[in-house]
Amino acid sequence: MPDAIAPLPAAFAQLQGFTERWALPTENQRSAVRWTTSKDEFATFHESVMPHLDAIMTALADKPIPPADPALRSLYLLACAFAEAAPHHDLYNGSAKVPFSFDAHRFEAAHGDVAY
Amino acid sequence: MSASLSSAGPTGPLGHIYRTTEQVRAELGTAPVSLDATRDPAVYKQEQDKIFRKTWLKVATGWEIPNPGDWKVKEIAVAGASVIIVRGKDGVVRAFHNVCTHRGNKVIPSTGFETHGRARANVLTCRFHGWVFSTDGPLKSVPMKDAFGELDTACLGLRPIACDMWEGFVFINFDPAPAQSLADFLGDFGRLFAGYPYHESTTAFRYSTVLESNWKVALYAFSEGYHVPTIHAGSLPGFSGVEHTDFKLMGPHASSTIYGGGMDTAPSTLAFAKILHGADAHCPHPEQLPADINATRRSDFQFELPTIFPNFIIHLASGCGYPGLSFFTHQFWPLDHGRTLWEGTNYFRPAQNAAEDVAQRHVNALHRNAWLEDTATMEDTFTGIMSGVIDEMQLMDNEFMIRHAAQALDTMLSA
Repeated sequence: MPDAIAPLPAAFAQLQGFTERWALPTENQRSAVRWTTSKDEFATFHESVMPHLDAIMTALADKPIPPADPALRSLYLLACAFAEAAPHHDLYNGSAKVPFSFDAHRFEAAHGDVAY
Repeated sequence: MSASLSSAGPTGPLGHIYRTTEQVRAELGTAPVSLDATRDPAVYKQEQDKIFRKTWLKVATGWEIPNPGDWKVKEIAVAGASVIIVRGKDGVVRAFHNVCTHRGNKVIPSTGFETHGRARANVLTCRFHGWVFSTDGPLKSVPMKDAFGELDTACLGLRPIACDMWEGFVFINFDPAPAQSLADFLGDFGRLFAGYPYHESTTAFRYSTVLESNWKVALYAFSEGYHVPTIHAGSLPGFSGVEHTDFKLMGPHASSTIYGGGMDTAPSTLAFAKILHGADAHCPHPEQLPADINATRRSDFQFELPTIFPNFIIHLASGCGYPGLSFFTHQFWPLDHGRTLWEGTNYFRPAQNAAEDVAQRHVNALHRNAWLEDTATMEDTFTGIMSGVIDEMQLMDNEFMIRHAAQALDTMLSA
């Protein structure tokens, strides 16, 4: 699996600035980023990606997991990060911690280090 | 939230398992339930001997070890055992103590509570001295065998553990001569939940954590829907019309149904749900539910909420609740009187493309976050119980499975 994150497809070039932070190959890596994200950063990420979400899903709709094309793989990883980060903006008022919850660091994901 | 049934439920082969609220109250009582069994470390020792070393315990799924030679090692502290679950060359799943018959070393070194792997050439080789066991148990070869003088290799196979499968779930029983077959143990529960294509939902997102709590505190927390509007106000905002009903009693097992009108769904979730609801593999399939689960096929069915004695739960949704979620399970493994390994797993049918995979990850994240809300209560609850300030639980109708599980445990311990 390539480690380098290729540039996004041209149609999503305006989201390129988010790939370095968010387009990570494992759930554990993405979780580590989520846990250190501020309310404003969640909002910016959400407001930037949400208008393109349907188009992103369409671009990924007939692609393998992960997409073989490097640009689409980057888009897939960014979409995975958005899928996991969106509730923090939508539901938790930008809090990196689920309010009134158990310490997320203590949850161990069996699949957490599987890289895509 | 309401909890009522004007009639006991459908008639038919399983009609006898249904209970109205009034019947549950009459059968199980309404009095407060003692917390002694949770507080007293001596009870834990009895649970080890009379329950966890005597009853059937789910330890794996068949689709975790789909091919001959695939194995899983599970550390089961409550029974003081390391267990190999392995699919043999003949396709049969068996369980063995992970103990070399030479001098007791682990045949398969394990890391953490679960370790997975595949046997080469269908043999398991102890790394200490190279004793080789077939995946169906017999000792196949011993290095420098002649140097032992005498060695009855026919009697030195891996030590078996009673093992059987139900609907693709692998159960073991540490009792060398189990009092019941797995089918008899599950009884009406096995019939109620039979027939759903569990084996198709091979995409698993599994989380675990060690809780500083007695295992029953964790079991009980996941055994009722009373807490949903409060604990899950963050992750399930505006969840409306929650109805916890269709009470069912089946020997030591029990079940019930959660109906609901849904929640205030965020635009991102709607976009991901659209992907999953547009695919036949992931869309709601109420017709696949066993006949006596949501028997009237109500459109607001969310999931079936059972407790399976002693420590396993299968929440069967068939895509009707969380988008695309086929079912999810919880299991509660005592590590000591005051420590518990909780395991929660979300099961989906395999994503067919990258968009479906992303959508499943969103749903998984939503549900994992709800579990973070659930688990937040358990250590605090146990601390409160251990403080000795209260001696009893006050249980309402929707918490009937707690009352039922406590009574089933008392029955087993007093036998």
